[in-house]
Amino acid sequence: MKLTISRGLQARCVASALAFFALAGLAVQAAELKYEARLIWATNDKKSPDSKHKEVDPEIRKKLDTLNLKWANYFEVHRKQFSLAKGAVEKVAMSDKCSIEVRDVDGKKVEVSLIGKGEQVWKGTKLLPKGDILVLGGNAPNSTAWLVTLKRVE
Amino acid sequence: MNEELQLKLQAYCDGELAGHNAGEVEAWLAKDPDARALLAELQNTRAALRQFGDDLTLPAPRDFYWSKIQREIRRQENRRTDELPVPWLAALRRFLMPAGAVAAALLGVFLVGEQLRQNDPSRAADMEVAFSDSDTFTYRDFSSGTTLVWLSYPAEIEFAEPDPGDILD
Repeated sequence: MKLTISRGLQARCVASALAFFALAGLAVQAAELKYEARLIWATNDKKSPDSKHKEVDPEIRKKLDTLNLKWANYFEVHRKQFSLAKGAVEKVAMSDKCSIEVRDVDGKKVEVSLIGKGEQVWKGTKLLPKGDILVLGGNAPNSTAWLVTLKRVE
Repeated sequence: MNEELQLKLQAYCDGELAGHNAGEVEAWLAKDPDARALLAELQNTRAALRQFGDDLTLPAPRDFYWSKIQREIRRQENRRTDELPVPWLAALRRFLMPAGAVAAALLGVFLVGEQLRQNDPSRAADMEVAFSDSDTFTYRDFSSGTTLVWLSYPAEIEFAEPDPGDILD
């Protein structure tokens, strides 16, 4: 089988390949990243007094176990998924008094602000690859603790 | 008669030998009938070519005429190269090679860019700022990709202030 390819056709093929790579790059850059934020109560009690609270997913539990915290049980109080475009900011209410503000930094890092009672308590910029998890926590009454987790889902 | 003697005889026929060398050839011709026969043949051929060439005249000055022929040869060679049918595998290779080179170049640019971005100290370091006199410590478990930021503020003061009926608010 013989095929004749002129130089013009070759040039068009190369131009098409370049355009393809450029468009693919733009599509990747333009894609939104999905995150999941959770408010978790850490306790040694076997059950939560609030029946709506469920035990955290095994995946999150496994991650929390690597931190060797002193609590035996973790109950999910609130969960919220959200998408973040490049450079966008999303404020996510975790409870009446607690929220986080997440800002995308150059499509790879996130700037996370923890807001308690309307005041910014902590702010940090983290590289958060898919599957990694950022845990913000503090002590709560009766030797329990609150945790806010942020995970990149996609 | 070997090749060297034949060439020597041709040189003699063309008048390229002189003095001692020409004398040697003449002595050899005097005693070798084969050599004489070959010389006669060479001379006849030479005479025939000269006669044939005398009838031809170039339609243009010699340099211009040959440069025209040279240009035409090059033009036809280029056209032949352009239109030469190639097997489909070779054609595919001809497309893939530049496309692969372009892809490799783009990949190289991307990787170098990423490396530079990661080596940029202003970008590489994670930044943390705690407010309101909060003491924090950070622990990172690399194996599980988990980062813990533990805040003392507002521990047991405001943030986790217990409300009746809701242990976390």
